[in-house]
Amino acid sequence: MSTALRAFEMHFFIRYLSYLYLMYRFLLFIAFLLLLFTSCKQDIDYSESKPEYWTGKGTPLEYPGKIGDSAFHAKLGLKLLKRNKSEPLGLQVNGFGAFKVYWDGVYLGTNGRMAGSGQPEIPGTETTYYQIPEKFSNLGEHVVTVVGTQSELRDSYRGIDIKPESYLRMLRFPLIIMSFMNLMAGAFLIAAIYYFFLYLNSSHRQAAVLLFGIICLLFFILLIMEYVKFYIDIPYTQFYTRLEIVGWLTFAISMLVPWYFMLQFGFEKKRLILLLLFVTLIAIYILNYHHYDITAMRFSYAMWFAALVIAASAVFRKIKGGLIVLAGLLASAIVNYFLVYDFGLFITFTIIVLSMLYLHTIRTKAIEEAHDASLLLSSRLQLELLKKNIQPHFLRNTLTSLIDWVEESPQQGVVFIRALADEFDIMNSISEVTLIPIRQEIELCRKHLEVMSFRKEVCYDWQENNIEENESIPPAILHTIIENGITHSLTPSEGCICFSLNFRKEVTYKEYTLLTKAKNRQTRKDRSTGTGFKYIKARLNESYGDNWHFESHAVEQGWLTIIKIFDKK
Amino acid sequence: MKILIIEDEARIAKRIERMTRDFFDKEAQILLCDSVENGSNAIESQPIDLLLLDLNLNGEDGFDVLQSVVAKSFQTIIISAYTEKAITAFAYGVLDFVPKPFDVIRLSQAFERFTKPEKQSGRDLQFLAVKKAKVIKLIDIKDIRYIKGAGIYTELHLSDGRMELHDKSLESLEKLLPPSFERIHKSYILCWYEADKLVVEAGGKYSMLLKNAELLPVGRSKYKELRHKMI
Repeated sequence: MSTALRAFEMHFFIRYLSYLYLMYRFLLFIAFLLLLFTSCKQDIDYSESKPEYWTGKGTPLEYPGKIGDSAFHAKLGLKLLKRNKSEPLGLQVNGFGAFKVYWDGVYLGTNGRMAGSGQPEIPGTETTYYQIPEKFSNLGEHVVTVVGTQSELRDSYRGIDIKPESYLRMLRFPLIIMSFMNLMAGAFLIAAIYYFFLYLNSSHRQAAVLLFGIICLLFFILLIMEYVKFYIDIPYTQFYTRLEIVGWLTFAISMLVPWYFMLQFGFEKKRLILLLLFVTLIAIYILNYHHYDITAMRFSYAMWFAALVIAASAVFRKIKGGLIVLAGLLASAIVNYFLVYDFGLFITFTIIVLSMLYLHTIRTKAIEEAHDASLLLSSRLQLELLKKNIQPHFLRNTLTSLIDWVEESPQQGVVFIRALADEFDIMNSISEVTLIPIRQEIELCRKHLEVMSFRKEVCYDWQENNIEENESIPPAILHTIIENGITHSLTPSEGCICFSLNFRKEVTYKEYTLLTKAKNRQTRKDRSTGTGFKYIKARLNESYGDNWHFESHAVEQGWLTIIKIFDKK
Repeated sequence: MKILIIEDEARIAKRIERMTRDFFDKEAQILLCDSVENGSNAIESQPIDLLLLDLNLNGEDGFDVLQSVVAKSFQTIIISAYTEKAITAFAYGVLDFVPKPFDVIRLSQAFERFTKPEKQSGRDLQFLAVKKAKVIKLIDIKDIRYIKGAGIYTELHLSDGRMELHDKSLESLEKLLPPSFERIHKSYILCWYEADKLVVEAGGKYSMLLKNAELLPVGRSKYKELRHKMI
């Protein structure tokens, strides 16, 4: 057989030969086993000769596009070596132009309408299928003649390829592939819609959710675009349009997937990686210009590599989900190695998207847990607040003082009891809310000071400045600061310990400053690490998220505490 | 007699002071401190006989204070709102724990434990704190074989053969130790589990043979009681 024939074989059979070759290893991929079995089991064997194109006179040319406006004739020799007689024989013709197909001189069918005298060509589609009458389907030599015109895309060097095949198989093959691909596409469409809705209805809109939705949508479109050829007759003039769209979709996905991983793994140098990736992809596009399949494949390689780097760094930084993604990427590489490009790419993508989905569920779980923790924290804070007044050291010390007051001066004892009852009342009424009016908080503080002045026999003075009655504050925050102030201030030899509360409203924040005017006791422990400050910070967190600032430190006059609450960013 | 009160709440401090004065009459000299620092300084500057201590002072945990005061020669009575700390306090060797709120009767009981010379019921003492080169070290009383009085302080003889010095007198310790410890001589307290047999030596001298073959003198007045207890 001539080298030309061998080259032809290479060109035409390579896909199916590789299917055959790989069949042994496909056991792993059971779902595709079926698909591939049905599509690659060959019960037709044939050989063919290199096609020739001519206009009727002159020397044959290599490609029909080189022939001018006049019709070309293509003669394609073919020798049927084996076929299954129970199924009708069909012929697949791949080629540009509008043409008529003949089998041993018998007319099989038309693709488009040839340009004729005065009427322009109606372009045919790239792949067409014809049934060959049974009486002409004997084994042996046959000649396929294609007569047609190619008015457009003349500089694309594409010849006409033919392939005899069981006619039923020929019709069924796209259906089988489509069933799998539509299944996947549907899944991604649903995922895309779900994540878009999730993004739109979320109170904390995360870029990663939107990105994931976009990736799913693009992937859905990619699948549809890739296989739209099976159910729409695309004129050969638009043949490259589809490939171009597939290419750009792959480009976009190749950018977005690593971006998504970077977002999910908290990768540092996002812009640098994205820029590098972009440059790489553009370079791939330019270097492989008009080699659509290769371009798309190399795009996906670049994406895979970038994602691998990101996942590896996540594993290195011990980020949850990093290992799963890395495993997914490696698995997709193995799949890609075993499968030919067409399916390989989509399975690779599917595995990557699945690992992304997994990652997303991990994140969702983390958010759920954070939510649960916040609920738990809220109830813990409630408990903390209630405990303030039933703690043994508060209650027992107060009662001891109270006994003494009652024994010494019953009238004063009654005043003491009233103050204590009032403090309890306020505590009780605020214990279940997260924000209370500032006036209520001030009342609580004043009642507490009254109780403490009975206990400590120290005069406590309360001053306030510029308080806005409409403002609210988490419960018992100022109360906690005052408790601290009482505990950590030295008893003055004369005069009072004064607590002075100031409010200030600025454009972007509100500020409470509480100054304790007294000498500070020397303490061995750091005052800023106590449970009181933890309570205050937890309360601020609960009501304002991160939009607050708390500081508390010694100043010349005593102790100064500043609470800033910023407007929501 | 000097009594130090460490209490940060003025009203309660006055109450304790009043009741203490009523109990001890004029023989007591009472000092008041409202913080750990002041209290420690007072202890360092002058010898005291009794400390009345609040465990939680100005938000500070009194546990460190407790460890350092029980190593001292004086007795300590805790007056605190932290009733759950009572067991710990006894384990470290305080004379009594008076929970707040308290009345004059309860405080007087505590004072009686201090003033009565005889052995107390023997509380849940588990450790004896000894001060060694400015570090407080806790000795498990299970490790004590016997205690020997040595002037104003005592020698704790331990089961591993070592000896530690304690600042409290034999009389003070006797009030704190559990019933398993027995005063056998004016200078000796013995852990009863260490006793092997009573020995009568020539000249009517009584001794106690320990399980490790050590021989401790037994007071003439204690002999009868001990012999009765041995049987």
